[in-house]
Amino acid sequence: MKKYTPASTITTLVLSLVAIFYLYPLFLVVINSFKTFSEITSNVLALPTSLVLENFSNAFRIMNYPQYFLNTLLATAVGVSGVVLVSSMAGYKLSRTKTRYSFVMFMVLIAPMMIPFHSFMISLVKVAKELHLIGSPLGLGVLYWGLGASLALFMYHGAVKSVPQELDDCALIDGAGPLRAFFQIIFPLLQPVTVSVIVINTMWMWNDFLLPLLVLSGSKKSLTLQLAAYNFFGLYKVDWNFAMAGVLLTILPAVIFYLSLQRYIIKGMVAGAVKT
Amino acid sequence: MESMTPLKRKQWDRALTFALFTLPALAAILISVEIPFLMSVFSSFTKWNGLDKAQTFIGLENYKELFLDDLDMWKAFGFTLRLTLGSVIVVNLCALLLAVLLDSDIRGKNALRAAFYVPNIVSLIIIGYIWRFIFSAGFESFFQASGLDFFMLSWLGDVNLVYFSVLMVSVWHSLGFYLVIYIAGLQTVPRDLIEASMIDGAGRLVRFFRITLPLIMSSITVSVFHSLSNGLKAFDVIFSLTNGGPGNSTTTIALDIYRTAFVINRFGYGTAKSVVLFLMILILSIFQVRLFKSREVEV
Repeated sequence: MKKYTPASTITTLVLSLVAIFYLYPLFLVVINSFKTFSEITSNVLALPTSLVLENFSNAFRIMNYPQYFLNTLLATAVGVSGVVLVSSMAGYKLSRTKTRYSFVMFMVLIAPMMIPFHSFMISLVKVAKELHLIGSPLGLGVLYWGLGASLALFMYHGAVKSVPQELDDCALIDGAGPLRAFFQIIFPLLQPVTVSVIVINTMWMWNDFLLPLLVLSGSKKSLTLQLAAYNFFGLYKVDWNFAMAGVLLTILPAVIFYLSLQRYIIKGMVAGAVKT
Repeated sequence: MESMTPLKRKQWDRALTFALFTLPALAAILISVEIPFLMSVFSSFTKWNGLDKAQTFIGLENYKELFLDDLDMWKAFGFTLRLTLGSVIVVNLCALLLAVLLDSDIRGKNALRAAFYVPNIVSLIIIGYIWRFIFSAGFESFFQASGLDFFMLSWLGDVNLVYFSVLMVSVWHSLGFYLVIYIAGLQTVPRDLIEASMIDGAGRLVRFFRITLPLIMSSITVSVFHSLSNGLKAFDVIFSLTNGGPGNSTTTIALDIYRTAFVINRFGYGTAKSVVLFLMILILSIFQVRLFKSREVEV
């Protein structure tokens, strides 16, 4: 067993204090979302004297929360599942095929990792318009496929190498078609990568702002939560009580996701970062 | 098909399967990234207001204006570089220091690691807004409680201070991400090397600089790469924290591109700026990765 020295106890104490200090701004958001407006203006640091839940019901209603929550959920779900599907298939096939064409295709497919979003976003809006992908969460989700596919494909491509080729051959000999062999035998074995890909893309799509701003801001019905929150803050610039309740409502889904899958999230983010 | 020899038929099947597996990804990537990127490169040589279909070819005019006449763009360029440099240095030093402390044998290190990661799960738009609240209402209360003039400075309104505010908020948001990369790196350092150096009488600092640091160089490469490119692409946090102000003092290149295209409708000119941003990130990243990779060692 590990033993803890007095020095390590002091380190723990100091780091805990640093962590509390670090998260203090978020703590302030939480306590102020329960206060009345006058309580906030008199002292931000004090605890609320009573819990004002109207802040939340107001923010919930004015932000049109349920609608925008569902929009975000739809865009994220469509985006993430598309990324997983197209990139696992391509990553697998490209990893198994060792021809020159396959290599060229691989290069073409991972090249976007070197292209920053801001360098093509202007024309992306034009393409999206032509393809009728703007103005709906569904279209937004579809646009995410290509944006997320390169990194995911790269991760799958690497992971497939550790799955023995014999498994493919066995499945094919047993009469499975190539699609069935992949989805029933290989894909389940790639589960650790799939988890990482889901985590990375979910966090990104759920929190993304610029692409939704570019393709959705024209249609009020289709906004995502981040966009709705941004508009909401514009309306309630100094009504901090409403605004902080809005902040809390907006970050709540991500926090719940994080708290329930914390281990996978941290692992997944590291995997995605280190792979590039 | 019937006239095919078995060998040809097999090759044909193989090609079909290959296409079936790879074309969906190719289509998605072409639509969302590569075609728009090529269109942007093309548009950068045109005059285009985004509304008309017509794009007038004007050769290098956009680039000429960009390099010779556009002071705002260069100001944004300068601010972006300063912000990037600051955040690369600060975030990597802080994350590395914290990672070393968290990797030692202490209680509750998982909880601590998780705590520092929390700001990273919140979107930057919200982060910017939270800090607007802290800098205004929050700092007023801090001042009342402490009496320190520090809290009464105009952290978002003063041209000289706002750099530090933006830097601090970006570091606060992303620290947890770099922290977990460094912790993962530290966990790969072999225990026996550390123990061997202890037996040889190396002190803590020597051990860190001579053993640990060279061995986690690949984590440093990765972290610096991400902080560099995230810094050069900064948009969301600026959009909600300062919206580029006061004046234009915190406008980044990404924000400048956004405004050029979608606010003042100069799409052609905006794409020229975006091509420059692409080249800048590409060159700096390649340079950085080369430089750092050359210092990596294998165990």
